[in-house]
Amino acid sequence: MTTVDRSHDHLGGHAGHHDEGSYLTPKYGPIATVWDWMTTVDHKKIGVMYLFAVLFMFFLGGVAALVLRTELLEPTRIVDGQVTGAALRPFVTGEVTPTSVGQLYNRVMTMHGAIMVFMFIVPGIPASLGNFFLPLMLGAKDVAFPRLNLASWYIYVFGSMFGVFSILQGGVDTGWTFYTPYSTTTAGQPQVIAMVLAAFILGFSSIFTGLNFIVTTHKLRAPGMGWFDMPLFIWAVYSTSIIQVLATPVIGITLLLLVFERVLQIGIFDPGLGGDPVLFQHFFWFYSHPVVYVMILPAMGIISDVLAVHCRKRLFGYRAIAFSSLAIAAISFLVWGHHMFTSQGELAAMIFSFLTFFVAIPTAVKVFNWIASLYKGSITFTTPMLYVFAFLFLFSIGGLTGLPLGTLSTDLHLHDSYFVVAHFHYVMFGGTVIAFLAGLHHWWPKMFGRMYNERGAQIGCLLVFVGFNVTFFTQFFLGTQGMPRRYASYVDEFHMLHMISTYGSYVLGLGFLVHLAVFVHSLFLGEKAPQNPWGGLTLEWETETPPIEHNFHEEPVVTHGPYDFDEVVPPGWDPKDYPLPAPAPAGSKH
Amino acid sequence: MTATLAGINDLVIKLFFGQHADSAVGSGPGGTDNLFLFIWWVSVFFFVLLMGIMAYCMVVYRRKPGVPTERSASHNTPLEIAWSVIPSLLLAVMFFWGFDGYLKAQMAPSYAEQIELTGQKWNWSMVYSTGIGASEFTTLGSNSNVPIFYIPAGKPVRLKMSSADVLHAFWVPDFRTKLDVVPNRYTPYVFTANPIDRTGADERVATFQTKDGTTVYYRDHTVYCAEYCGDQHSEMMAVLRAVEPEFYYTWLNTPPYSSITPPVEVGQLVWKAKCSVCHTTDGGASTGPTWLNSYGYPREFANADPMTQAKIDADPLLWDNYIRESVINPGAKVRAGFQNAMPSFDGQLSPVELRGIIAYLRSLSDKNPNSKIEGFEDLEKEAAELEAAEGAE
Repeated sequence: MTTVDRSHDHLGGHAGHHDEGSYLTPKYGPIATVWDWMTTVDHKKIGVMYLFAVLFMFFLGGVAALVLRTELLEPTRIVDGQVTGAALRPFVTGEVTPTSVGQLYNRVMTMHGAIMVFMFIVPGIPASLGNFFLPLMLGAKDVAFPRLNLASWYIYVFGSMFGVFSILQGGVDTGWTFYTPYSTTTAGQPQVIAMVLAAFILGFSSIFTGLNFIVTTHKLRAPGMGWFDMPLFIWAVYSTSIIQVLATPVIGITLLLLVFERVLQIGIFDPGLGGDPVLFQHFFWFYSHPVVYVMILPAMGIISDVLAVHCRKRLFGYRAIAFSSLAIAAISFLVWGHHMFTSQGELAAMIFSFLTFFVAIPTAVKVFNWIASLYKGSITFTTPMLYVFAFLFLFSIGGLTGLPLGTLSTDLHLHDSYFVVAHFHYVMFGGTVIAFLAGLHHWWPKMFGRMYNERGAQIGCLLVFVGFNVTFFTQFFLGTQGMPRRYASYVDEFHMLHMISTYGSYVLGLGFLVHLAVFVHSLFLGEKAPQNPWGGLTLEWETETPPIEHNFHEEPVVTHGPYDFDEVVPPGWDPKDYPLPAPAPAGSKH
Repeated sequence: MTATLAGINDLVIKLFFGQHADSAVGSGPGGTDNLFLFIWWVSVFFFVLLMGIMAYCMVVYRRKPGVPTERSASHNTPLEIAWSVIPSLLLAVMFFWGFDGYLKAQMAPSYAEQIELTGQKWNWSMVYSTGIGASEFTTLGSNSNVPIFYIPAGKPVRLKMSSADVLHAFWVPDFRTKLDVVPNRYTPYVFTANPIDRTGADERVATFQTKDGTTVYYRDHTVYCAEYCGDQHSEMMAVLRAVEPEFYYTWLNTPPYSSITPPVEVGQLVWKAKCSVCHTTDGGASTGPTWLNSYGYPREFANADPMTQAKIDADPLLWDNYIRESVINPGAKVRAGFQNAMPSFDGQLSPVELRGIIAYLRSLSDKNPNSKIEGFEDLEKEAAELEAAEGAE
C-alpha cells in the first residue's frame, strides 16, 4: 500500500512528531495517570477501558454459568436447605431459608443471561475492538465525537452496575427475557423494572457508540478510501451501528409501558387489567432480535479481516460480504416473530418463518465466501487463524441447526428446549465469542505492544474448542429427547448427557484460565511486538506498535485495497521476506 | 440400498429422540420426523462439504516459507449465483413442508375427544367432559405428586388450554409439538396417541389390574411445562396415560369420589392434584407453609392487621374461614416468612372439595378434637374400659 508510507523514516525526520509517544506511555505520576485515563477522549484508551469492563462482565457471567452447570450435574437439586450462608444471601429474598435457596437456580440463570447478553455480547466487540480499531482502520485520528465516546463508557459502567445491583437485590428470577405477566405479577416488581431500565441504559451507551461509528465511517475516511476500499470489519461495525441506533428506542418504549402499567394501572401487558401478555413478547423481540445481529455482525467482520491476513488472501466476493452485512441488518428487523411460533396465529407464524429463511441466505453466502477464500491462500496456524477455523466449524453448526428451528412444524417440538439453548450458544459463543478471541489475539500485539505466548494461546484455543463442543453438542440431544429449558432439576433419563455437558463446561472454563494466564504473562513479560507481526495491509498496521497518541504521524493516504496481498508488500516488512507472485498477465482482472 | 438408508434413518431418529423414537404419534413418522430427517441430511451434506473443503485447504495451502501466494479469482458470478439459488430452493422446500405440518398439527376432527386443561403455578389440571379430574399420581424427577391423566389411545384428542396465572407451555415430547398456555385465551393442543400394542413388541406398554380384575394395557407420555414460570417450573410435569378407548370410557364415567366419600379422602386427593407442589404434609419445607400441625395453631401473618391477628390467635374455629379465604384470595393473609406466591383457586374447587381440604388439614393437626392427645393415654384407657363395662351390662 498502502499508504504512501511515510512512517518508516519518521524518527528524527519529522520535527514535532518525534516526541509523540505511545498512547500507553504515562505522561504524569500515578494518580494523574489514572485521572488522565478516566477523563480521556482518546478512542484507544476508551477501547481498552471497554475491553477490561466487558471482560470483567464476561467473567461474572461465566461464573454464573458454571454454577448453573454444577447444579445440573445431578437430576435433583444439589443446592438445598443444607447450604447455608451469607454467600447465598444476595440471591434470595429476605432470610436464607430452605425455600428461598430453591429459587437460587432461577436467579443465577437470570444473572447469566442478562449479564452475557446486555453487558458482554452486545457491547463486546464494537465497543472494545471497534472503538480501538475503527478510527485506525479508517486512518482517522479519533472517532467523530470523542466526548460522546467517553460518555458512552460511563453510561455502560453505570448501566452494568445498576443491572448487577438490581439482580443482587434479589427478586429478578425471570430469565433475561422478562416475559409478562410473570415478570410483573409475581417476581419482585421494582427489581424487574430496574433491570429493564438497566437494559435501556446500556442500550443508550450502544446508541452513542453506534452514532459515533456511523458518522466516523461517513466523514473521517482517509483520503483515497472509497466505500469499497474499507476493510470488512468496518462494514460489519457500520451495519451493527445502524441496528443499534434504530432498535434500541423500542426497549425504551417497552420500559415506559411497563412503568405506566404499574403506576397508572393501564392494562397493557397484564391480563388482570385487560392487557395482552403476548404483546410484551412482540415488543421485546422487536428490540432483541435485531440485537442478535448486533452480536454476530461484528464477529463476522473480524473473521473476514483475520482470515484474509492470516491466509494472505484477497477475500472471495468482497462486495457480497459487504452487502450481505447490510442485508442482514435490514432483514433483522422483520424476523422477531420467530421467537413466538408457539404463541401466535397461523398467518403470523407463516410470514415469520418465511422471513427467517430469507435471512438465512446472506448468512450462508458469507460462510461460502470465507471457505472459498481459503482456496489458494497461504494459510498459517497462528492462534487467530485457529480461532477462525473454530469459528467456521462452530458457526456452520450453529447456522444449520437454525434450520429445524425456522421450520414451523419441527420448531413446535424444539422450541424452548435444550436444542434452542445449544443452537444459540453455537451462534453466540461459537460465533461471537470465538471471533472475539480471534480478533483479540490478532490485534493484541498492536493494542499493547507485546506478543503473547503462541504455544500457550494455542493450548487455550484447543481447550476452549473441545470444552465448548462437549458442553453444547450434548445439549442438542437433550433438546430433541425432551429436556425443556430453564429446569433446575430433571428426570433421570437426561442424567448422562447433563453430566457430560457439565464436565465439558469445566474444560471450557479451564481454557479461559489458560488464555487469561497467557494475556497476563504477555502484558508483563511478553516479547516486544513488531509493527506488523502478521503482515496486514489495513491502515492500523501502518502506524507504530502500540499506536502513538494521535494514531498516525501524518494522515495516511490509501493507494491499495485492504486485501491486495498479491500486489503489495505489507508495511514494516522487507520485500525479501515477502515474495509476491508474478505480476498478473495483462488484461486479467482479479 | 433403500433398506440401508432406512436403517441409517432409524438410527438417526433413535439417536436424536432416544426413548421417544418409536412412539411419535400422528405427528411423528410420516410427519415432522421425516422433515427432521430431510433437514438433517441437507445439513450433513453442507457441513461435510464445507468442512471437507476447509480441511483440504488447510493441508494443501498451508504456508510454505519463500513460496508466494497464488493468484486466484476474487469472485466468480456463476458460482456465487449457484450457491445462493440452490440453498434457497432447499429452504423453500423446508418452509412449505414445515408450514403444511404446522397447519395439520393444529387441526382436529369434530369428533375429537375434548378435554379442558388448566396450567397454574405449578401444576396441570384437566377437567373431562363428565366433570372429573385426575385421581392418580406418580413420581417424576423430584416431584412425587405428578398427576396422571387418562387419554383414549388411537383417538384424536383436543385439549382446550388456558392459564390461571402466567404463561406456561404444554409439551409432550412424544407428540413432537407444544403450544403456549396463555391467561385470558384458549389455545388448542391436538394429538392422536398410538393405538396400544398388546403383543409386547412395544417396551413402553405396561399393564395394571383394576379392582375387578381386568388387565389394562397402557402407555405413558410425559408432559413438561416449557415456558419458564418461576420457582417450581422444573416440577411442573404430568403424565398422559394412553389406554384403550373401552377402558377410557369406563374410567371417564366412574368418578374418583362421590358425595359420600369421607371428606378427608377427598381432601387428600385434592391436595395431591392441586396443592402438593407448594404445601407438604410431613413438615418439610416448600414454597408454602406445611400443613402438618398447622390447623388450630396461632399463626403470625406478614400483612394482617393486629385485630385479625388477635382473633385468629384466640379462636381456632376461625381456621375454617381462614382456609376458605386463603383458597379464594390467598393474598388476604400471608404467613410471615413466606412470599405471596399462591394463585387464587376461586371457582376451581367444588364445595365438596373445599370441605375435603378443610377436613384434611384438620386431620393433619394434633389440635384436631378427634386426634390423640399425648399424656392422656391413661385417661383414654380408663374411658375405654368404662365403655366396655357399660357394653357388658
